[in-house]
Amino acid sequence: MNKTWLRLAVCICGLLLSFTLPVWAEPVQEDPLDREVLEIAKDLRCTVCQNQPVAESNADLAKDMRQIIREQLVAGKTRAEIVDYFVARYGDYVLMKPPTERAGLLLWIIPPLLLITLALLSWVFLRQRSRTSPPPAAALSKQDQARVRAARQQQD
Amino acid sequence: MFLSGFEFNLVELGHFAAYLAFAVALVMALAPAAAHFFHRPELARVGVNASIAVFVLTTLGGLAMIHAFVTDNFSVQYVATNSNSKLPLFYKVSALWGGHEGSLYLWVWVLTLYTVVVGLHGRKHYPDRLPTILAVQGALMVGFFGLILFLSNPFLRLFPMPPDGRDLNPLLQDPGMVFHPPMLYLGYVGFSVPFAFAMAALITRWKSEYWIAHIRRWALIAWGFLTTGIILGGWWAYYELGWGGYWAWDPVENASFMPWLVGTALVHSITVQERRRMLHAWNIFLVITAFSLSLLGTFLVRSGVLSSVHAFAVDPGRGAYILAFMTVVLTVSFSIFLARGRYQEAEEGMTSMLSRESMFVWNNVVFTVAAACVLLGTLYPLALEALSGDKITVGAPYFNAVMVPIFLAALLLMAVAPLVPWRKANPERLRSRLLVPVALGLTAGVVMLVAAWPLHWTGPVAAALIAFVSGTIFTDYARAVRQRRVQHPGELLPRSLARTLLGNRRHYGGMIVHLGIIAIAIGLTGSGLFRLEKSVVMAPGEVVEIGGERLRFDGVRSFQRDNYFTVQGQFTLLDRGVVVLPERRRYPVQEMPTTESGIHTTIWRDVYVVIADPVGEGNQTKWGVHVYVNPLIQWIWGGGVIALFGLGVTLTSRRRTARDAVAATAAAS
Repeated sequence: MNKTWLRLAVCICGLLLSFTLPVWAEPVQEDPLDREVLEIAKDLRCTVCQNQPVAESNADLAKDMRQIIREQLVAGKTRAEIVDYFVARYGDYVLMKPPTERAGLLLWIIPPLLLITLALLSWVFLRQRSRTSPPPAAALSKQDQARVRAARQQQD
Repeated sequence: MFLSGFEFNLVELGHFAAYLAFAVALVMALAPAAAHFFHRPELARVGVNASIAVFVLTTLGGLAMIHAFVTDNFSVQYVATNSNSKLPLFYKVSALWGGHEGSLYLWVWVLTLYTVVVGLHGRKHYPDRLPTILAVQGALMVGFFGLILFLSNPFLRLFPMPPDGRDLNPLLQDPGMVFHPPMLYLGYVGFSVPFAFAMAALITRWKSEYWIAHIRRWALIAWGFLTTGIILGGWWAYYELGWGGYWAWDPVENASFMPWLVGTALVHSITVQERRRMLHAWNIFLVITAFSLSLLGTFLVRSGVLSSVHAFAVDPGRGAYILAFMTVVLTVSFSIFLARGRYQEAEEGMTSMLSRESMFVWNNVVFTVAAACVLLGTLYPLALEALSGDKITVGAPYFNAVMVPIFLAALLLMAVAPLVPWRKANPERLRSRLLVPVALGLTAGVVMLVAAWPLHWTGPVAAALIAFVSGTIFTDYARAVRQRRVQHPGELLPRSLARTLLGNRRHYGGMIVHLGIIAIAIGLTGSGLFRLEKSVVMAPGEVVEIGGERLRFDGVRSFQRDNYFTVQGQFTLLDRGVVVLPERRRYPVQEMPTTESGIHTTIWRDVYVVIADPVGEGNQTKWGVHVYVNPLIQWIWGGGVIALFGLGVTLTSRRRTARDAVAATAAAS
């Protein structure tokens, strides 16, 4: 009788311990190739989606593109080569970040130019406004004078 | 559901009400002109009653639509397209703004709401200008009702009646999406009120001191709603879209962000006009721009131009109407501005280059450039495609590269400007006041640099500026409290703290808004620069480690709920014993999969789990799992709440200051 209880207890303990097994198990590692695919896919646009990178899209095309990236990585191509491969097929449209030459050039020049222009204009405006003498300050009304006096007395 | 004939056709009553509203809006728009033309001044007074009538009628129309949704009246085409008998009641109501037609109806409904509030409020405060203001609002309503009734009508019926509806877009079946559009529209349309005031001011040569306080208040209210709408949108994207982010610089998001940026410039520079009687014309320009950008946002989102310029060119209908309407509004308002703007002149000059008013000018430079850059990035691909046929993408990396430096510049101004007094700053005093905040900022920057090396240059700069701004705000407040305690010796500290804050609600309300923005900046920096992500394939029982968190996959369950099937993954955060339950849902009516991320939140970080596709078959099935650790992301939503609270504090200030002035005068005499 006692032995049965003991056996049962051991079994239960073993069962309980087995629940903790995963805690000791080696954690799952991310496939470094997967990570590389995703990092490249972040810079590419899923061309059938609205403004979504290939990395984040569930569209079939995005899955295919990720597969192509993977295959090319396995074939030993570099990141730049893979991006060029897609640009050759889809044009600049496939780049999430517009290029700094060709059609994308204006996008990168205009913001700093705009900032400089507006800043200069404001500077000129401020200078001009601070040179024109402000109209003379109106004399204090009797009420205001009384308030100033009251405030001074309070302070003393 | 079986409907009686009356209930079944109730929607026609709403349809009729909408037509009547259109007619009444037309009367409202023409009333002042008619009064002038026929020399019958009493005609102008119909405006207020008309605004009430048009609101009641539009509400009738809206309620009729909601009734049609709730009673599953699929004879209404819009209901059949955007609802389903199995859709939960909550979403049936919100499905009203789930599609094109209904969104536009909500737009105009909100417009009538604002108009009736202005009408009722204005009767007492600005009766002589009210007809013109209401006429501008009425003209806007006519424009939108025209679009709704003739090109985008939600009341149209369908024959034969389908047995069931095509269901609401599953992505929109989320609480965030229920409140996001109304808030956004309350913001967009809110800018129509300052716009109407500005037009009235130009047309009737209204003097600045009479309209400035009204425009300021309305602009702040619109800004608050727009802020709420944008933050709710980010929150929704974060919880619902399942890629761990909240803002993708999507054109639709940019559409709401542009009026926000200009609105932010406006609520700052309008203070200069109020306090120093300058920048009148510039403020009117900003008001017109803010509202125009709201219209542009509506155009971009509602015309379909974003998906493809060519699709738009083939079937322009609605888009062409909004574009034409926008052109008319812009042309008319800027013509009036150019013709009459010179009557709204500055009455004072700048005293010094280093003053609060000059700081506000720099603020305006920063926010105007920010808005212009977003506009550029949003419209450039469309213009390029239309003009040359070339297609390029302007995605998040571009906007981050351009906008982050601009935001950092805004933070720098935010740190310095509140310490600079009006008119003329004393450089020595300013330097001494900046000492502690600058030291704090530099320390924070260096600490960040050392602790998190290597990192992007924006990290330490953002940390330094965040600490700098907080240092400014708190030392400024501490100085004011100390001053008060000198004047009121023996006062309890909490009382001093509260009285100081409440004594200048406008200033401290603004500072609380700034603190909210700082909290948002902390959240953006944390989640933007230090996000961790892992994409793994897991079998039940396996554990993944990320950022010191250990997450165990316990398996999946599938079951059915109201109107969808779901596969729910179960994960346990081992160090906390917390379970997170990400889902993949499939809505059979639309055959559309959606993801519901499983999120465990603390104030320091979110663990964000998305369950992706199964790999393999049968017992050996493994699941693709994306895990993200987003540091400090909750600060973004929290910051939004703080900012809105601060805005509320600011908005309570007006009456009080007026009463105080009277009390002070009485005490002095």
